[in-house]
Amino acid sequence: MKKLLAVLLTLALMLGMCSALAEEEPIKLTLWTFQELHTQLYKEMEASWNANPDNPKIEIDMQVYPYDDMHSKLTLALQSGEGAPDIVDIEINQFANYLKGDIQLADINDIVEPIKDKLVMSRFNNYAKDGKYYGIDHHIGACIMFYNTEILEAAGINYQDIKTWDDYHEAGKVVLEKTGKPMCTWESTDCWSIYPLVNQHGGDWLTPDGQVRMDEPVVVNTLAFMKSMLDDGTAVGAPGGFHHAEEYYGEMNGGAFASVSMPFWYLNRFTDYMPDLSGKMKVAPMPLWSDGGHKSAQMGGTGTAVVKTSANLDIAKQWLAYATLSFEGCVKTWTILGFDPIMTEVYGAPEMKEPNKFFDYYGDDIFDMLKTLLDDIPDTCISEYFPAASDIVKQHMAYDLVIGGVDAETIAQSCAQELRDVIE
Amino acid sequence: MKMKKHFNKRKAMLSFLATGLMIIWACVAMLPFAFMFCSSLKPGEEMLRKGLSLTIEPGVSSFSNYNALNTYRDGIYWHWYKSSVIIMVLQTVIGLFFGSMVGYGLAMYNFKGRNLIFTLVLIVMMIPFEILLLPLYRMLIRTKMTDNYFGVVLPYLVPPFMIFFFRQYVLGLPKELLEAGRIDGCTDYGVFFRIMVPIMIPAFGAMTILSGMNSWNNLLWPMIVLSSNEKFTIPIGMGTTITPYGNAYDVLMPGAVMAVVPIIIIYLCAQKTFIAGLTAGSVKG
Amino acid sequence: MQQVSKRPNKVIAFLTSRKAVPYVFVAPFIIYFLLIYLYPTISTILMSFQRIDGPTVSTWIGLSNYQKLFSRNFIQSLETTTRYAFWDVVILTSVPLIFAVVLHSGLVKGAAFFKSLFFIPALTSIIVAGIVFRLAFGTQDTAPVNALVTALGGQPRKWLMFADTGNLALIVMTLWRWMGVNIIYYLSGIQAIPTDLYEAAEIDGANPVQRFFHVTLPGIKPVLIYVITITVLGGFAMFTESVALWAQNNPGGVGRTIVGYLYQVGISKANMGMASAVGLTLLVLVLVVNLVQLVLMGFFRKEDA
Repeated sequence: MKKLLAVLLTLALMLGMCSALAEEEPIKLTLWTFQELHTQLYKEMEASWNANPDNPKIEIDMQVYPYDDMHSKLTLALQSGEGAPDIVDIEINQFANYLKGDIQLADINDIVEPIKDKLVMSRFNNYAKDGKYYGIDHHIGACIMFYNTEILEAAGINYQDIKTWDDYHEAGKVVLEKTGKPMCTWESTDCWSIYPLVNQHGGDWLTPDGQVRMDEPVVVNTLAFMKSMLDDGTAVGAPGGFHHAEEYYGEMNGGAFASVSMPFWYLNRFTDYMPDLSGKMKVAPMPLWSDGGHKSAQMGGTGTAVVKTSANLDIAKQWLAYATLSFEGCVKTWTILGFDPIMTEVYGAPEMKEPNKFFDYYGDDIFDMLKTLLDDIPDTCISEYFPAASDIVKQHMAYDLVIGGVDAETIAQSCAQELRDVIE
Repeated sequence: MKMKKHFNKRKAMLSFLATGLMIIWACVAMLPFAFMFCSSLKPGEEMLRKGLSLTIEPGVSSFSNYNALNTYRDGIYWHWYKSSVIIMVLQTVIGLFFGSMVGYGLAMYNFKGRNLIFTLVLIVMMIPFEILLLPLYRMLIRTKMTDNYFGVVLPYLVPPFMIFFFRQYVLGLPKELLEAGRIDGCTDYGVFFRIMVPIMIPAFGAMTILSGMNSWNNLLWPMIVLSSNEKFTIPIGMGTTITPYGNAYDVLMPGAVMAVVPIIIIYLCAQKTFIAGLTAGSVKG
Repeated sequence: MQQVSKRPNKVIAFLTSRKAVPYVFVAPFIIYFLLIYLYPTISTILMSFQRIDGPTVSTWIGLSNYQKLFSRNFIQSLETTTRYAFWDVVILTSVPLIFAVVLHSGLVKGAAFFKSLFFIPALTSIIVAGIVFRLAFGTQDTAPVNALVTALGGQPRKWLMFADTGNLALIVMTLWRWMGVNIIYYLSGIQAIPTDLYEAAEIDGANPVQRFFHVTLPGIKPVLIYVITITVLGGFAMFTESVALWAQNNPGGVGRTIVGYLYQVGISKANMGMASAVGLTLLVLVLVVNLVQLVLMGFFRKEDA
């Protein structure tokens, strides 16, 4: 009898365990993004989260939308209180729109603060308001210079000798004379030429309390420098208007320009779209401004946020912390996406040195170079009117400078005025 | 005698010029397709390297790019395809049903308010859909019809251009048929469905192609209404491959070719009916 | 005829009565008109005087939207659209007409083949057409259009960077797309003109050009009106083509049309009140232009066709 009871009990226990296991329905989360590449990281982190038996199983429904469409659907969903996802990628230029009024995003101080000292916090300040953090970026987006060493060598220039922007301009003149090629291109329809330089120089479009800084001397001087390079042909407008244009890729790949200044995440544009330059491109710090400024700037990006009204708020936050703030997650932003991780600790890790298409293309010294910049990257002021300022830069400032040939003072004044009009 | 020879020579030269002009435009018309097709065979970077090129290089070109349609995000492209087809069929079938009915009614019968309604149709044809966008969208949100195929098709159910066209076409049909049908004991509806519709086939053919074409390439409204990735139509889906930070050319080009080839085939098969329909319908314009 | 019960028969009898039938046929349009056109138009008018903060939340702000309406971007998009619409109508009504006349004249070998071929571009995806034309009108000197222009002795340009040349590129793309469609419309009208009219004119001593202006044009008047009307509408409401050509890139706001601006304000920036004001401006513009066009073409002189 006792034996029978024991057997029955064991059976019951086993059944119970089985049903408990079988009953474990994965928690469903929705994630919205506009950049399909990010989903590669998310899928990987979802799988490895689920692989850990201590974690409740999750199932993330990832929806990719066209850029404008996603942001407008998000606004609508947050406004109407219905249909919003749990986790969402919001591009940096749009983020401020969601920090207005009654903020519908969850504050994530509880997952960020504990590891503050390991992170490049200027990235987090972009997505913060009143001391609360709302978004996590996948990269620093440190601005660097990409040099085509083949062209430079033909002109007798060693890229490592270029220390300041004046050195850069002088080198450009030599390159133009000896090879007939411009030193670089400035974007005429996007902000990645102007904003990094202005920010590195110490300027910005707005102060944290909403005052317009667009017409400060530092901005005018930066624009004047850029114009001086346009005037003598050492810089030209990017073909197609911006550095993501098909025409630009084609020409740069064909060796038309000696260098380009872009944020770190631009690494994979070269590997994916300009394969002929493999082994010829080198990355280096941006030249420095002789009258003060910083070593670099942090540009672009996407803040991944959690929606406050999510039904699975805690799990969503925990998974997000795992995907983007854990050691493993940060390493993977490099190995999968080719981004510069926001966790400084990661840079010494052996996984970061494993051969991949980037080391093959640029050489092994990418991170040695990058590490030197991390201590001097300024904040950017992503206040409520930053999106409007950004639009003005992309559509008027860049265009007037590069195509319109307007002088720096006038451009700064008129754009600043336009921004002030918007703020009213 | 001399005059005729001179005239023939002149005619021959004009004919040569005229045909030449047509050939030039035919090349212009087909060039983008040729480019699309050639690019779809090459990996994305090739297209960027050479820009607009019409070469088919043996080593580089292959149909392997088309496999990207299966692998990209687990073959979501085919969901887009299915969506586009469903919406196109829904929109066209329902549109044809109502459009033909209204057009027929306006042409066959003389009744009070007939001119008023036709004028309304004309006015409606002149209103840009884009200004109705926002209120319609809010309406859909309130009635929970977003992310729904019917929500996408709703504004197109009784298409004014079809009403206009069917009316013109039916004006050219003999009214005696209606009388004959009635004498035979049919209701007017019976006459419409059993006698008139078969006669109106060319018109249906023309409108099918125009409606199908509109629906297949429609971007704005479906994008606003739909929010699930699987329900996206092809134009929306292709839109997701174009970001401010780069495009997925490997999917874009084969995707575009796959999207257009079936339509072209359907068109080539149906064009006799289509052109006959358009021709007859515009006669009494 | 067996009477099953009185009631259903009455309804059916009514619906099939001579009087009711036409109304039943046109009923779908009436419902559609009220629901899809009248209600939203009134809604748009009302919304233009409001600030909308959510699907059901709105506050009245009077003329405030209209006062802020004429911003730099709005005026520019108005300019862009008007310039485009003007050239759109001029080119897309005349060029296909010329082609249609040539195709009809019997001078072309294989006219039916060409006719079919020219229609095919209308079937493509606008997005991909945009990429192709963007590359064709590229800024390098080696880009196809620049190469062609240089070969013909002209100057290469940065087509898409400026308003007027960008407009040219857009018109070329639109012409490529709709040429075949308009040719078919015109041909259907031309083919309906009885040949004895031409013969009579020839006997009277009219040359081909005169025959065109005095026989062909009047003969296709209804088709012409139709084509012009939809082209005006298409021109002013153009949006997708400019998005396809310029993609995310908008040099100095050159590629933005009124609808593009409407989308940006209403959907991207969620300011539906202002967007409604923009939309109304567009509506008024289109109606006015079309009314003028119809009056000039004498549409209102004779009632109906």
